[in-house]
Amino acid sequence: MAKQSDITVDAFEPFAVAAARIVRRRAEELFENEEGVLDTSDIERVHDMRVASRRLRAVLEIFAPCFPQGDYKTVLRDVKALADALGERRDPDVHIEAMEAFERDVQATNRPGIDALVARLRQRQARGNDALAGALEEARESDLQARLHSLCDGALEVVE
Amino acid sequence: MKARNVKGLDPEGTLGDNAERIVRVRLDELCSFMPKATDPSEVVALHDMRIASKRLRYVLEVTGPCFGPYAASAVKLVKDLQDLLGEIHDCDVQLPEVDAFLHELMEEDAGVAGESPKDLAKVPNRRAYAGLVALQVHLRARRRALFEQFLELWRDYERKGFAARLAFAVSERAQSDE
Repeated sequence: MAKQSDITVDAFEPFAVAAARIVRRRAEELFENEEGVLDTSDIERVHDMRVASRRLRAVLEIFAPCFPQGDYKTVLRDVKALADALGERRDPDVHIEAMEAFERDVQATNRPGIDALVARLRQRQARGNDALAGALEEARESDLQARLHSLCDGALEVVE
Repeated sequence: MKARNVKGLDPEGTLGDNAERIVRVRLDELCSFMPKATDPSEVVALHDMRIASKRLRYVLEVTGPCFGPYAASAVKLVKDLQDLLGEIHDCDVQLPEVDAFLHELMEEDAGVAGESPKDLAKVPNRRAYAGLVALQVHLRARRRALFEQFLELWRDYERKGFAARLAFAVSERAQSDE
């Protein structure tokens, strides 16, 4: 499971100051989990990055009023697109894992059907991996990480 | 499911006051699915309740330390609820997929089998049926068991006053260590 860093918060600090610090950290965690994410032999990597993308999306939504709205909308849209692509890859991973566990516990006569289903799911996994590769490339090309940092700088300007 | 709008958020206000507003809305949102979600056929309500629990969990994970001590306990309770609703959702997603796959194989075999029952011994997918039907049975049984666990968990939360205690905790403010 992806580990999220504990971020110290103070109930009495300005909302926008907390927004900048928390979103910046969650954005860093997203990209720290990028390595090896297209490797289908280690499904935990895509899981970790997906969890990080959900956490980032969640804090973007929690702190929405703190950010410059134009930039915020495009950044949130791009984070959602990346999270969706991670989900498209992760969903068949989970299903395959569950089917393989089921197969271990059933009689041999039941296995051909489960094997056929797993083969179908592997096709979906491969398509999901292609979609994820495209989404990662798009995030790099649009410099999503830098735009997230710039969004956080914008939140700090609100209280300066 | 679109999240309910949280009114009155102020970037220059304190984190605690803003987070309190968000938690109250997300908690109300979560509780609003009851009693509808006590009906096992309410697949959409159960799915939306899972999303609502996820939203509440995330805001509590980030801002929980601003509040009274029960907010920290609530994070785990909400996570347990979200996990259980997630497992129910997995069954609700997987079952139609298995049904569709089985149907596809049957159609394929029906296309090559002749009118004699003896032809069934030669259809290409004949060995796949037993496992897929067993899987359908398993997913239905698992879904029933998980749903019972969900009802029991929610009843337990109600007995222990989860919503009222969390609502009180977010009205408290933890003092900074500094």
